[in-house]
Amino acid sequence: MRRCFRAAVLFSVLLSPLAAASAAGQEATREETVVIAVGRDPGSPVPTLLLGNVTAREVSELLFLPLASLGPNTITIGDKDFLPGLARSWKRRDSLTLVFEIDPRARWHDGIPVTARDAALALNLARDPSVDPSRALLLRRLTSATAEDPQHLVVRFSEAYDEQFYDVIYHVSPLPAHLIDTVPRGALGRSAYAGAPVGNGPYRWVRRVPGQQIDLAANESFFRGTPGPRRVTFLIASDPEAQINLLLSGGADVLQALGPVSNVARVAADKRFTIYPVLTLTVGYLLFNQRDPADLARPHAILADREVRAAIALALDVPAMVQATFGQWATVPFGPVPRLSWIRDPAARPAMANRAGARALLRARGWVDSDGDGVLDRNGQPLALSLNYPTQSAPRGQLALLVQEQLRQVGIRIEINRLDGSVWQERRQGGNFDMDLSSATMDPSPSGLVQSWSCAGRGGSNVAYYCDPRVDSLLASAQRDRKHSLALFRQAVRTIVDDAPAVFLYSPTNPYSVSSRIRGIELNPIAPFSALWRWNPGPFR
Amino acid sequence: MLTFLVITVLLFILMRLTPGDPLQRLAGDRQVSAEEAAALRQRFGIDQPIATQFRAFVTGALAGDLGVSIEHYPMPVSTLLVSRLPASLLLGGTVLLLTFGFGIALGVLQAVHRGRRLDRWLTRASLTLYAMPSFWLGLVLAWYFGIRLHLLPVAQMHDPLLGADASWLVRVGDVVRHLILPAVTLTAVSIAAVMHYQRTALLEVLRLDFVLAARARGLPERQVLWRHAWRNALFPVVGLFGLWLPILVSGSVFVEQVFNWPGLGHLAADAVSARDYPVILGTAMLVSAQVLLGGVLADLAYYTLDPRVRHA
Repeated sequence: MRRCFRAAVLFSVLLSPLAAASAAGQEATREETVVIAVGRDPGSPVPTLLLGNVTAREVSELLFLPLASLGPNTITIGDKDFLPGLARSWKRRDSLTLVFEIDPRARWHDGIPVTARDAALALNLARDPSVDPSRALLLRRLTSATAEDPQHLVVRFSEAYDEQFYDVIYHVSPLPAHLIDTVPRGALGRSAYAGAPVGNGPYRWVRRVPGQQIDLAANESFFRGTPGPRRVTFLIASDPEAQINLLLSGGADVLQALGPVSNVARVAADKRFTIYPVLTLTVGYLLFNQRDPADLARPHAILADREVRAAIALALDVPAMVQATFGQWATVPFGPVPRLSWIRDPAARPAMANRAGARALLRARGWVDSDGDGVLDRNGQPLALSLNYPTQSAPRGQLALLVQEQLRQVGIRIEINRLDGSVWQERRQGGNFDMDLSSATMDPSPSGLVQSWSCAGRGGSNVAYYCDPRVDSLLASAQRDRKHSLALFRQAVRTIVDDAPAVFLYSPTNPYSVSSRIRGIELNPIAPFSALWRWNPGPFR
Repeated sequence: MLTFLVITVLLFILMRLTPGDPLQRLAGDRQVSAEEAAALRQRFGIDQPIATQFRAFVTGALAGDLGVSIEHYPMPVSTLLVSRLPASLLLGGTVLLLTFGFGIALGVLQAVHRGRRLDRWLTRASLTLYAMPSFWLGLVLAWYFGIRLHLLPVAQMHDPLLGADASWLVRVGDVVRHLILPAVTLTAVSIAAVMHYQRTALLEVLRLDFVLAARARGLPERQVLWRHAWRNALFPVVGLFGLWLPILVSGSVFVEQVFNWPGLGHLAADAVSARDYPVILGTAMLVSAQVLLGGVLADLAYYTLDPRVRHA
């Protein structure tokens, strides 16, 4: 035992100088580095090739510049409210043709100039359904993208519509034609380029340690200025506790998903960090299935009735639920419209909870408590519904309990199904649920409403089979009629809220925690790290 | 070999029967069109009938190709496994060394001091640690030593900012510092079993006649204990070692997650949650092979240590 103890003491004594040497050697580099803790391995951070991986998008924001980006009001129609990127200017030749002028100072990280050919190649790749069917669908009205000369990109459309410019700049970023035009399209995702991409943004690719970290270094010849942080490291930690431990132990400078409100309070109390609220394009809602989960050809025995859905919506005290779950980090949206969306109607207010009104509505539809068991029934059928949510989402778990309790008070029995994420998704996609706590992150364009809330989206993103031809008509008009676009979108949203296909619960604000040693923080809600190169990291205190 | 094949086939079938959709994580909160979902299923071959998928898997596996990860696309599974294996071997090897090294020593100490205060306290302490959930103990240690005292790193296996020019001494020191908390956590929650096995086995042996005879011959107590009694009390612990050998590869899922240790346990847990079928199968096959190997090694150790087995 004594020998063991001596060995342990010796080991500790030896270890301390090693640690000190390690720390001293790293101090200079560490000060100039920004370490970001993220939840997932980004896979391939190449725009056009990336899927729905948020981390991949964040890495790609540092590696690649878009032709232009959305302005502060996130307005997606026209071409006035956008900020220059690789394109320093643009003009409209006619209602079907846009011309972009590429900034001649822009270079790829290997020194080759960025040209219109690179942009045309990326747009044509994105239009190819074999590369990404969803993106190709979004760009279906884009008929051609050609390089008129090295500086001028000409994009043509099959029809005149308001979001031509947005479609070109939001869904696609130019890719280096000199590196990828010889790679077969089907093999692009597995190519050497996808593993170590060459971009044109403020940071260049250094290395990836699979499942652990991604290192980027400042692009000294970035044409818009010299990046402040010399190095950016993305540390991958899938466990939320590991993420917060990394932050609090000083192992990371930035964390974007702090998890429960208690974690936010814990970090807020630590003077080494500052919390920045960033609006999101996410909306969480309690979705009602309008088809029978056992046979999707038949209407749902309870929820197909609009009055029952409206009664459920009326029975829920949504502001109180959201306050209890998110504190100040979410607001109650009006319809499926996140706070960041330009069609949000600031004057519209969700209806207040009214349990007496909810009971009256249910009574009018024949739902009464005939056997005195506290649960309403009709023709022997109890008003009992199941509610699914994914186990990975703690806020939705809390909301499920609140929904259950508040509906119990009006005589509706809720059975909560806490499902593993994959199983939850499978059931949701298959229409195998009564009620579902969903969360959707939308594109900035309100035209995305068509996917989830139109008759055409049934069986796809519209998993609850909601269909109202009035909404379809309003959404179609809103996309065509530029003059009345905003009013028509808002009218469509009001109609959706009136139909009560869901109770729209929350639109979260993301609390980004950033080390206080870093100054000049700018976090763009659409592309959070796109301005990271202007941050100014300082010494550790 | 047959056992391994049966395990592989069972794993493949059970995994595909498990509910869940691997496309869920790929899509995130984004809406995925039916066309995109179909294209993704085709890309990963999960649109095929299960028999076709199995045939493709076996053909690939025989050629050393375990397929491509769905979650880490386009990374091949074999590359992923090889990249995570050193971390698992390091953590698992350290934990086995500490658990069996200290466990055997403390078990012997308890047996020698049977019924005395030291024995009672060691029993209480080891059982208390044994009763603690490893992730909880890990979180407490991370909070105290990493966040409160800033003494030890709480995540990863390396300092992510360690320069390429750092000396090997600094690199080794860095890995050791990162290893301490996960290794101590896993050792603390598992040492009780080894201590208990060793204590009980030694107490049994110490009662036998040949020990009495050794003492009667006037051999020193240390020699009686270590050369005669302890060697004979080692067999149950060897069996336990064989059972625990898979920890070398699988690590501990919870502890690897809490400390973000880049091992196979962590990889497997993420793969299960993402329904990353090729990675689940790859890690499961590796662990199955390790379990079978552990059994074989334990039998070999019995054979070497116990002459009765050899003569039988």
